[in-house]
Amino acid sequence: MTTFTDPIGQHASEDDPRVMLDNQIGAFEAVPPYPPRTEREAEFYSLRDGEMFINMGPQHPSTHGVLRVVLKINGEQVVDLDPVLGYLHRGVEKLCENSDYHHIISQVDPLEYVSSLFMEWAPVMAFEKLLDVEVPRRAEFIRVLTGELLRVSSHALYQGWMALDLGGLAPILYSFIERDEIVEMLAAITGQRMLFNYFRIGGVNGDLNHEFMSRLGDWMSRAAQQHEANIGLLNENEIFVRRMRGIGRVDKDTALRMVVTGPNLRASGVPYDVRRAHPYSIYPELEFDIPVRGTGPEGGDSLDRYLLRLDEVGQSLKIIDQCLHAMPDGPIMARLPRLLRPRPGRAWAAVEAPRGLYGTYAISDGTDQPFRMKIHDPSFVNLQLVGLVMKGNLMADTMAVMASLDPVMGGIDK
Amino acid sequence: MSSISRSLSHVTLAGRILIPLLFLLIVVAPILTVALAVVVGPWLVSVLSSNLGIIRFVVAITGVLLFSIPAAFIIIYMELKVIAYMNLRVGPNRVGPGGAAHSLVAGLKVLSKEDFSPANADRLVFTWAPVLVFLTAVMTFLVIPFGPGLVGQDLNIGLLYLFAVGGMAVVGLLLAGWSSFNKYSLLGGLRAAAQMVSYEIPLTLSVVGLILLAGTMSLHGIAEQQGGWFGNWFVFRQPLGALIFFIAATAEANRTPFDLTEADSEIVAGFATEYSGMRFGFLFFAEYVNVFIVSALMVTLFFGAWNSPLDINMAMLFLNDELGWNLQPIVVNLDPGGLGIGLLLLILIVPVALTVVFALPFYLTRSKLKAWQALLLGFALFNVVAVGAAFTLAFIGWDWVAGIIWFFIKSFAFVFVFVWMRGTFPRVRIDHLMGFAWKWLLPAALLNLFLTATAIVVVDALKAG
Repeated sequence: MTTFTDPIGQHASEDDPRVMLDNQIGAFEAVPPYPPRTEREAEFYSLRDGEMFINMGPQHPSTHGVLRVVLKINGEQVVDLDPVLGYLHRGVEKLCENSDYHHIISQVDPLEYVSSLFMEWAPVMAFEKLLDVEVPRRAEFIRVLTGELLRVSSHALYQGWMALDLGGLAPILYSFIERDEIVEMLAAITGQRMLFNYFRIGGVNGDLNHEFMSRLGDWMSRAAQQHEANIGLLNENEIFVRRMRGIGRVDKDTALRMVVTGPNLRASGVPYDVRRAHPYSIYPELEFDIPVRGTGPEGGDSLDRYLLRLDEVGQSLKIIDQCLHAMPDGPIMARLPRLLRPRPGRAWAAVEAPRGLYGTYAISDGTDQPFRMKIHDPSFVNLQLVGLVMKGNLMADTMAVMASLDPVMGGIDK
Repeated sequence: MSSISRSLSHVTLAGRILIPLLFLLIVVAPILTVALAVVVGPWLVSVLSSNLGIIRFVVAITGVLLFSIPAAFIIIYMELKVIAYMNLRVGPNRVGPGGAAHSLVAGLKVLSKEDFSPANADRLVFTWAPVLVFLTAVMTFLVIPFGPGLVGQDLNIGLLYLFAVGGMAVVGLLLAGWSSFNKYSLLGGLRAAAQMVSYEIPLTLSVVGLILLAGTMSLHGIAEQQGGWFGNWFVFRQPLGALIFFIAATAEANRTPFDLTEADSEIVAGFATEYSGMRFGFLFFAEYVNVFIVSALMVTLFFGAWNSPLDINMAMLFLNDELGWNLQPIVVNLDPGGLGIGLLLLILIVPVALTVVFALPFYLTRSKLKAWQALLLGFALFNVVAVGAAFTLAFIGWDWVAGIIWFFIKSFAFVFVFVWMRGTFPRVRIDHLMGFAWKWLLPAALLNLFLTATAIVVVDALKAG
């Protein structure tokens, strides 16, 4: 006859690992359970007097995605920090090498779950180079139009997250209203609200329809006004500005040395934008400025990064307006065979996304799958700045500085 | 109701004991009280009337304990709803009309949850720290005057008592943070200690000027001096003091933008991270009771306490004096016996007549309505009007009714301000917080004290000479 008893309550012994876990104070430490593998690890995981480790993430209310940052703190001051990646790793590059060219678009989509069209754009452009396809003009206009809409939505969300990480509750909900209008609009032509899977090799999946145009017109009629309101929301808030100014400073040289791209680079005073530096699509025909901030000796801080994104929204609105006025008629897809077999070769394509330079390097061996595909993600590069700029700052600013760099974990862990 | 019954079905042991006790309190206690009053009332009165002080004390403590829970419930609901509308959301809307019973069900939920304490926590301290926090919050109610004469204990050192008891809360928070065996909790507790100790000083100094002006530390005494019209409120004689008090009190109550102790984007939930069940409930209630206390203090000290902004009778006397008018003060004699046979007529005829009068329009305009339905509607309407009339009469006739109503209107206006701030401001950083307390608030409070003292001396000299 068997009797059922509570294993912990009845037969608790010294050997039971569950019991021991409760009694081991070390089990709750952030120190990894293996001996240090590198010099840096050995140095980081040894504590001096008065210091302690604290985990920010992977389950923390304010990490953006599942990022874990081990902070070494002395009181409230961050002595050092160590980002631990890999909680969202899917092996996307390997997956892409085992999918055919059409399939890859849906594989890379979730890497950039905030503005996923840009993550589709880079591989699609690389494959078009491999295949020597000319994309119809209307398709290019639609790509730019939807891309810039998504840039507005992404920067709106950035504004909200920034405020939320500084403890302001309201702006994130206002941000989501703006984002919701834009994703609803895009859902009318793509069928999805988040992972659009819309760009195709040689064009886009669907033409602009009535619902999209009516929603867009509705939104455009008050977009400029909404932009002004967003600028007024936090720019004059004393608490907000004081917490952002001078925090997380990245000077021009550091930014260039770390190969930072996108708004984070332009906020450090470097006027580099892929849309102007290596023009693609129809961007050479459009009129827009490259906003630059942080050119002064005290520039490149979190506030500059925040303000620069607001400037970019204004430029995006200008581009959307021009796209709508110059939109040509015509086909939206190039004529292509079902099964794509590009000639052997290699291609690199890069686009300017809300987070920086998204690049794809694809090598074709003549089959219907790429031989090798490398994805360059700007969030991964930009996140490295946290380790440089956070030392000596306060713990409360860790999340704020991280948010000001605007990382998306999908692309970082790939 | 289904949500309430669902919550009830999951109630744990503690809840099974506490909920019947609550019902006992609500249902049985009044019946017992009435029975006692009838049977042993006269004897009791003769005994008790010789010990009024003690009775008053016990009643005040009981009342304060019973009052703090609904006050916290209302503020929690208000916060959820007001911030929701500020964020263009709807907020709680499931339980009760407009979600009004939401916080009640949340309270039941808290009761029904597992009372968990983490491994390696200091059990004794972990258990009693929330009680200490809650107790210090509730104890401050004792000296707050809700209306003329309606004060638990009119201590002549009321303000000192307030600051002393309020300062004890930090011990509870620190113990809660330390005993949880969690680094977030520890940081939260230490932040609480640093913040509350720093802001205690400008908080106390900001009212010293007011004490000089009022000449008393009794809150009832301070409230009495602000009667008449709103020009007598201390906020107009102590604007700087009121501002400093408001800021420091916000920090003392750990409210946004000074809510560093439970900054969720930095240290998860601060000292409350490891708490669950009713222990968390105590911490949570204490926070909202503190919001009410801070608002009530703001009103009592600077915004005229229970006094209405303009006393009508005083205004009339003033006009009579200044302009030679002949206005008669409104006096309502709330003595029903004085009506004699008229009272009988009032009770018997007026309800019937008014019911019929109110029912007639319904009956005449809605052809589908039956007579009894129209009468029912009329009766309901009569009740609304009667209750409104009774309240109006009481408001005019009894100054304590008017006092309570004014006090709560003003207090909840301040609660609204706190909720508004929570919906609007980002959080300040710990070094900004400390810098602000020591570099700005403390010198400003000292300046305020200096100016007030100088002004009093100068005015006295001018009056004498």
